[in-house]
Amino acid sequence: MATIHINRIVQSARWKSARLTLMLLLKNPTGAVGFVIMLTYVGIALVLQFAPWIIGIAHPGTMIPNFSNPYPSPPSATHMLGTTYPGIDVFRAIIKAIRIDVFSSLLVVGAGAAIGSIVGIYAGFHGRLVDQAVMRITDIFFSLPFLVLAMAIGFTLGRAFNDVLLSLVIIWWPIYARLARSQTLAIKNELYVKFSLVSGNGSLKTIFKHIFPNTLTPILIQMSVDLANVILLISGLYFIGFAAETPYLPELGSLISYGFPFALTAPWTIVYPGLALLIFALGMNLFGDGLRDALNPRYRI
Amino acid sequence: MARVLNLVLKRILLGVMTLIGLTVITFILSHAGGPTLAVSTYINPRSPIPTSEQIKVLEQRFHLNDPLYVQYFYYVSGLLSGQWGYTNTPVFNGPVTTAIAYFLPNTIELSVLAMLIIVFVGIRLGVFSASRQNGIADNMIRVISFVGIALPAFWLGLLMQETFASGTVSNWLNLLPLDGNVNTPLVAHLSWYQQGISYPTHFLFIDALIHGDLAVAASNLIHIILPAVTIALTSLAIIIRMTRSSTIDSLHQDYIKTVRMKGIPERKVIRYHAQRNAMIPTATVLGILFANLLAGVVLVEYVFDYPGIGQWIVQAFLADNIAGIMGANLVFGTILITSNLAVDVIYLFIDPRIKY
Repeated sequence: MATIHINRIVQSARWKSARLTLMLLLKNPTGAVGFVIMLTYVGIALVLQFAPWIIGIAHPGTMIPNFSNPYPSPPSATHMLGTTYPGIDVFRAIIKAIRIDVFSSLLVVGAGAAIGSIVGIYAGFHGRLVDQAVMRITDIFFSLPFLVLAMAIGFTLGRAFNDVLLSLVIIWWPIYARLARSQTLAIKNELYVKFSLVSGNGSLKTIFKHIFPNTLTPILIQMSVDLANVILLISGLYFIGFAAETPYLPELGSLISYGFPFALTAPWTIVYPGLALLIFALGMNLFGDGLRDALNPRYRI
Repeated sequence: MARVLNLVLKRILLGVMTLIGLTVITFILSHAGGPTLAVSTYINPRSPIPTSEQIKVLEQRFHLNDPLYVQYFYYVSGLLSGQWGYTNTPVFNGPVTTAIAYFLPNTIELSVLAMLIIVFVGIRLGVFSASRQNGIADNMIRVISFVGIALPAFWLGLLMQETFASGTVSNWLNLLPLDGNVNTPLVAHLSWYQQGISYPTHFLFIDALIHGDLAVAASNLIHIILPAVTIALTSLAIIIRMTRSSTIDSLHQDYIKTVRMKGIPERKVIRYHAQRNAMIPTATVLGILFANLLAGVVLVEYVFDYPGIGQWIVQAFLADNIAGIMGANLVFGTILITSNLAVDVIYLFIDPRIKY
């Protein structure tokens, strides 16, 4: 009985804590703006994923080229934000691209955070040789700009969409490994961790019950900022022509690259996709900043 | 002093280890595609397409059928002796080492100018922001720095061209040149400038000054302004934020209270007392800043058609040229490792409390 009761208390405390975080986040104006932007983008992505007919989009997976009238035309009644080469409606392409961009950055950041936390906690908890090896490997990853490293790995893996995502996951775990490791090192010698080990819990159980929850805060903050970084990196790679194998895949960077040769005569082909990119990245940075304040114990008393 | 020296040596050793790790990565990536792909590194693009027998000879000559650890040994000794392979791109055709001599000075010129803008503007804005904490100016600077960090560098570059460059259809402000690094007719018949390389230092700006050709130097400078400002804007936020928070921290210290009680004007308190100490934590972000700057260089050089390492790696990537990609990777990695090393060593001398 008693254990059930304690579990209930713990659970209700967790809910309260989550509610408090959300409340603090929304009280902060920049955090609230970031939260709304994030909800809007994820909402668009979800609608397009599960019910694209609601907003009248038939093929969410491809930008439909129109070779009978390929050259960019300015915004008009039929094309709200104009068209870009080859005859692609900019507004629809942006909406479609938001789905791919949001989901792929979620996937890359999620996979990176999962792999990184496991590696980092293991390295921090067991220490010594493993720790040294992990730190040296992350050093190597940080010795190259991510964009350049992504190009080198992507060259070896291939140019399909999945290869882009895989090469980004390969790049994106070290930062989380470092975060999780430093957090683990900080709490490894706390009394409650030692008590858990002494009282017969295995190291795996101790890690899941005590260490993992304590590494979450910095990792969540980093993830929200990284969603912006990853989307900027993916669009940068697509802008330079990474996706030779998937020509009409809706992606904001490749949309801008279609407009690139016409940028000087038809600015709408690059301005609007870039704005969509900027607003998302800005929103995630504001959200991350708000989250940092909301999760800061100083403001939670 | 012996302790500091010990730490410096330890740090240098770490840097060397990272450098070795970097060559392992480029080795794996360039040899993962099998010997046939790896052999393409060593074929001069100007020579006729080799037959399969000739490829076999090349595989023998560059030890591409040996065990991997043996190959790695030959790979590293090749790198040390200057055998970096051949690059075949629309912007450069020839040995990788020559390509680096051609592109790297231009990239350094661009990044130095960008860095100067970032450091001068960023530190001033950060300190100004901190001195008006939560005021209107502070909030505006913070919003601008948030936007700056979220700006896609290539998109900003395109907008900059649209707004400031001449030669566009809109011709809005018509102030600065559209792309490239120098006005080509100006350098067409110079004896010290051949095929895009200037002599003796390869830095066009410095060489122009050496030869007293101010027109070329000025043309070079105004060509760099637009890309440098683009890179600076996307990296400015990092240094503004760090300077702001560390200046605010140091403004709350006791010694600042003492200085204020002595009756020193607030302007001098910030300038001579708070700002000095706030610079120490700011030095830690210089490494991140440099990494960000180099990443920005790649896309911005591509947009501005600027003959630098970033433009080269993009063109090598598009032309499937493995030697170019790996060569540029090694250059970027070496620059970052040495600059991080320098930052750490300098930091060790600034702040004696640091341990590694």
